[in-house]
Amino acid sequence: MGAFVAILRKDLRLELRGGESTITLVALSLLILVVMVFALNPAGGARDAGTAAGALWVALIFSGTLGATRVLAAESGNGCLRALLLSPADRATLYCAKMLAAFIFMAVAEVAAVVIMVLFFNLEFDARLARLAPVLALGSLGFAGLATLLAAISGRVRAGDLLLPLLAVPLFVPALIAGVKASGAALAGEPISAFAEWLKILVAFDVLFLSAGYLLFEHVIGED
Amino acid sequence: MENLSYLFAAYTVIFAVIFFYVLFLWRRQARLDEELRSLESGLRMVREELAERGATRSQASR
Amino acid sequence: MNRNAIDSLGLVTLVLMVAALFMVFVYVPTEAVQGIVQRIFYFHVPCAWVAFAAFALVAISGIFYLWLGQQVWDDLGYAAAETGMIFCTLVLVTGSIWARPIWGAWWTWDSRLTTTLILWLLYGGYLMLRAMADDTPQIARFAAVVGIVAAADVPIIIISVRLWRTIHPAVLVTRQGSHGLEDPRMVATLLVSMAAFTALFVWLLMLRFVTLRTRTRLNFLAGELGRTRAAVGDL
Repeated sequence: MGAFVAILRKDLRLELRGGESTITLVALSLLILVVMVFALNPAGGARDAGTAAGALWVALIFSGTLGATRVLAAESGNGCLRALLLSPADRATLYCAKMLAAFIFMAVAEVAAVVIMVLFFNLEFDARLARLAPVLALGSLGFAGLATLLAAISGRVRAGDLLLPLLAVPLFVPALIAGVKASGAALAGEPISAFAEWLKILVAFDVLFLSAGYLLFEHVIGED
Repeated sequence: MENLSYLFAAYTVIFAVIFFYVLFLWRRQARLDEELRSLESGLRMVREELAERGATRSQASR
Repeated sequence: MNRNAIDSLGLVTLVLMVAALFMVFVYVPTEAVQGIVQRIFYFHVPCAWVAFAAFALVAISGIFYLWLGQQVWDDLGYAAAETGMIFCTLVLVTGSIWARPIWGAWWTWDSRLTTTLILWLLYGGYLMLRAMADDTPQIARFAAVVGIVAAADVPIIIISVRLWRTIHPAVLVTRQGSHGLEDPRMVATLLVSMAAFTALFVWLLMLRFVTLRTRTRLNFLAGELGRTRAAVGDL
């Protein structure tokens, strides 16, 4: 437990000091939302809740990909990775810490993205956002879990930054479908019971990928 | 009946893809087998050389 | 697996294929609603079954590789992925050719085709990983992890896509015809086709597997040669 907290603290402190990751994620989300508005040309307002949700999730995926890559890239150079591996912390704990760090970065960027989305798509800052929150939290958690595992792979491969979305996006599809549908419903003002089925899928997805990451991380991290 | 052309197209695609894949595999295997033969004979030669040299060495040292 | 066994398997495949072709084009009656194009179904469905089964094989090989560390499992997984990709592509292409005269569109987002598309993308990712990197044990481990995770994801993909499709109003109608085969001759034809395609898959798998085993042996011998040469140099 101590190791987990220590590693997590280290990543968060690094970020607070340097701050480039979070700002880049927010900037990227903003840009993606702008592009989506031009691309989809929405009418805006509550009727376009589905479109807004879709745009938000596109931003989520691509900034999440970036976030996970950064979190693992932080250990390259200076023998940081070797130091971590030699420490008494086991690989699964390392995974948990990295995954949670990625999740926190994504969450912060998402708060900004939601605000931007509300502005761009002419929605309201009301209770609907409270129903949106669990959907985004579950989705980001799943994506963080998935991307952290994959980023360990893509970091060690040629053209890895192209490979990461190539692998992550198809794997993320069920959570994407569920997330967009649930988000659209939440933004349109529907009660949670209306999109409970989608939430169940998100939970199942998270359980699957977090366990998979926890069990398999030791096989993908490490030096030759 | 134009629907017949669709049926024909589908089956043609199936057989074409399989045919070309088998061809690809066949070529690949032939090339690998050749490499394997040359590597195996090279290894044999070097091993013989090692045995010879080792034998002459131990003869000389007696 | 020795070469003679593989050749016999090839022969078995040929026989089953001829039988299947006969049944599809001569024996089975034409379906009432869709007409002659429906016969694509008898090859389209077995391809789908093979594509999914191959993917399971990729994952299982991955598990054995991570557990036992023996190269043979990695070679099997890679062979299964390549072979499975071929059949997955065929599902999508034949599905598209079938959809066009029936629904007037080259692509429909019905739950089965969509799931197969995602599967195709997963295959693609796995093969890209393999293509972008060399034949090291590390890459083999990476590939194994990707294969396992992807296969574990497939059930959730199937469920979520199905839910997505049922909630969507049926502008794009779900394909029927895979179940509800009234005539027993249709069932028989489908079964023979399944057998033929399974045999075809195993045969192609073995062919690819043998090339990979040869490659593994080549790598090993190249190492041996290097070591032996060094030993000669030491003398």
